[in-house]
Amino acid sequence: MKDAIRAGLPMPAAVAAAMLIVWAIAGSGWALAVLAGGALAIVAYHLVNIQRLTDWARGPLDADVPQGTGAWSDAFAALHRRARTRNAYQRDLRLVIERFRGAAEAMPDGVVALDDGNRIKWANPRAVEQLGLDLAKDRNQPIVNMVRTPEFLAYMESGRFGASILMRAPANHDRILSVQLVPFAVAEKLLLSRDVTEVEAVATMRRDFIANVSHELKTPLTVISGFVETLQDLDLDARQRDRFLQLMREQAASMQRLVQDLLTLSALESEHNPLAEETFAIVPLLLQVSADAKGLSHGAHAIELDVRDAAIVTGGRDELGSAFSNLVSNAVRYTPAGGRITLGWRIGPDGRGIFSVTDTGIGIGPEHLPRLTERFYRVDRSRSRATGGTGLGLAIVKHVLLRHQADLDIASEPGKGSTFSVRLPAARVRQGPDTGEILPAAAGESAAAGPVP
Amino acid sequence: MSDHTSSQFDSEMEAIRSGVLAMGGLVEQQFLRAIRFLQDDEQEPGAIDAVGAGEQQINQFQVQIDQQCAQVIARRQPAAVDLRMILTVTKVVNDLERIGDEVKKVAYKSAQGRGVERLSRVRHYEVARVANAALAMLRQALNAFARLDVEAAAEIVDEDETIDAGFAAILRQLISYMMEDPRTISGALDLVFVAKSIERIGDHTKNIAEAVVQVVKGKDVRHATAEQIRAEVAEP
Repeated sequence: MKDAIRAGLPMPAAVAAAMLIVWAIAGSGWALAVLAGGALAIVAYHLVNIQRLTDWARGPLDADVPQGTGAWSDAFAALHRRARTRNAYQRDLRLVIERFRGAAEAMPDGVVALDDGNRIKWANPRAVEQLGLDLAKDRNQPIVNMVRTPEFLAYMESGRFGASILMRAPANHDRILSVQLVPFAVAEKLLLSRDVTEVEAVATMRRDFIANVSHELKTPLTVISGFVETLQDLDLDARQRDRFLQLMREQAASMQRLVQDLLTLSALESEHNPLAEETFAIVPLLLQVSADAKGLSHGAHAIELDVRDAAIVTGGRDELGSAFSNLVSNAVRYTPAGGRITLGWRIGPDGRGIFSVTDTGIGIGPEHLPRLTERFYRVDRSRSRATGGTGLGLAIVKHVLLRHQADLDIASEPGKGSTFSVRLPAARVRQGPDTGEILPAAAGESAAAGPVP
Repeated sequence: MSDHTSSQFDSEMEAIRSGVLAMGGLVEQQFLRAIRFLQDDEQEPGAIDAVGAGEQQINQFQVQIDQQCAQVIARRQPAAVDLRMILTVTKVVNDLERIGDEVKKVAYKSAQGRGVERLSRVRHYEVARVANAALAMLRQALNAFARLDVEAAAEIVDEDETIDAGFAAILRQLISYMMEDPRTISGALDLVFVAKSIERIGDHTKNIAEAVVQVVKGKDVRHATAEQIRAEVAEP
C-alpha cells in the first residue's frame, strides 16, 4: 500500500508543481488550465492501465502480464509474480496427473474409472482391450451396457465387492478375466480386470492330472484286487491260477511303468536336478535305441537306422536316450505289423542335430497335434492303453527337450504315418570323429530315409 | 437420452436400454454355451439344463421390458426420438427372444446327437466357425445399440452376407457327404437344422442393426440393401 502511494505520488506532485510555477508566471487562469490538463492526463493514464489489466484478465490464462509504468509497474510486477507461481504450481499438478495416468496406463491389469451412475469415465488400454471398450464412443456409457455378461451384472447389482469374480472376456471368449470393483471417493468405483486364463488353465490341468493319475492307477488295481479275491475264494486248478497270476503280473507291470514315468517326469521338473552336461558320441546311443526298438517290435516291423553324420553331442545322455526311446516305442506301438520305421540322424545346414523317427503307422489327425505332449492326452483311449502306453511318454520327451533347448516337430497324416523330429540346438552338436565302422549295415538299405521337414 | 440429466423420464429410458442390453448379454452367454456343445464332445454335467434355464430367463426379460415400454408410452407420451427408441426396443427385444429360441435349438440338437464320426469335422470346424462369426456379429450389434453407432450397424448388415455364405457352404458339404454315404444322412440332417438356426440368428442380428439405424436416422431400413443403408448412414 505504502509502496503504491509512494510510486503514485510523483505524478500529482509534478502537476501541482507545474501549476504553482505557471501560477507564479502567468496567473491563476493558466494555472487552472494546467491543473485541469494534468488531472485529465493522470485519469487517462490510469484508464489506459486499467484497460490493459482488464484485457489481460479476460485473455488466455497463460498470457503475459502487461508491463506498467509508475504506480502500475509495481502492481503489474506483483501480479506477474503471482501468475508465474500459479503457472508453476499448475505445471507441477499437471505433471503429477500425467504421471498418475501414465502409471495407470502402464498397469498390467485393466482399470476402468466409473462415476456414481457406473458410467465409464476413463479406462486404460489394457481394460479397453480386455473388455472390448472404445473410449471415443463409450465415455459416459453405463459399464453394464458394454460388459453384459450375466455374472458381471449380478455382481454389480449385488453391491458386495469384497471378492473378485471370474468371467469370460466379452471381446474374446477364450480368455478368462478376474474382475473386481473397488469403491472410492463417495460413490465412484474402479473396475479392475486381470487376465487369468493361464492361471486357470494350470489349475484345471493340475485337477485333471490328479484325476488322470488316480484313474490310471485304479484300473489295474481293480483288476489285481479282483483276481486276488478270486484266488482266495475259489479253489482253482493250477492252469487257471497261473493264467490269473500272469494277468496280475501284467497289470502290476503297467502300474510300475506309470509310477516310473511319473517319477521320471517329476525328476525332470525338479529344480534340484540340473542337467548332466556330458559329452558323448551320438552313434552308439542311436544303435542302442535302435536295438531296443527291435526288441520291442519282435520282428513285426522293418526298423532301419539312417545315420548321415557322426556327431558329438553335449547333454544328458540318459535323458536324450529315454526321449529317443519314447519316440521310437510310440512308433512301434502305433505302426501295424509289417510297417516300416526309420530312425534318422543328421546335422542340418544350420548346424542343428536332427533325430527323426518316421513310421508308416496310423498317423495323427491335425486337431490332436497341439495337445499331443500334454500328460495323459490320448488320441484313441482304448488303443493306447491296450498297447501298454502310460500316456506320459511324449510329456517326458517334451521335458527332456526343454532342458536341452531342443524342440519337437511333428508331421503326420492319418492313415499314412508320422514323422517326429527332435532338433537339438547347434551349440550342443558338433561334427564328431568319423566313426564309420560302427555305422550299421542297415544304413545301406535305407536310401530313401530321412524325410525330415 | 444423451444428456444425463437426472429426470425421472430419462432414468426410465436408461433402465429400458440397459434392460435390453442385459437381455442381450444373456443371449450372448446362451449362444456361447450352444457353441460349446457344438465344439466339444465332452460337456460338464448339467450344462444343458443351464441352457433351458437361460431360455426361461430370456422370456422373462422380454415380458418385463415390453411392460416397461408400455408403461412409459402410457404415462409419459414420449415423442420423436424417445418414441422411436421405445418402438425400436420392442422390436429388438423380440429379435433377441427369437435368437434365444434358435440358440436353444442349436444347443439341444448338438447335445442329443453326437452324430456320425465322419461329420465331426464339419461340425467342429465349419458349423462352429459360422456360429462364432454369428456370435461376434451379435456382440457388435448390441454394442452398436448401446453406442447408437450407425456406422458399426451398417457394417453388421454387410456381415450377415458372410453368415449366409457360410450356411450355403455347409449345406453343399453336407449334401456331398449324404450322397457319398447314406449312413451320414440322419446326422447330416441334424447339422442342417443347426446351421439353419445359426443362419436365422444372423438374420435377427441384422434386424437389430437395422433398428439402430432407424432409431438414429428415423428411417425404416428394414428392406433396404446394404448399399442403401450405407448411403443412409453417410447422410448427415
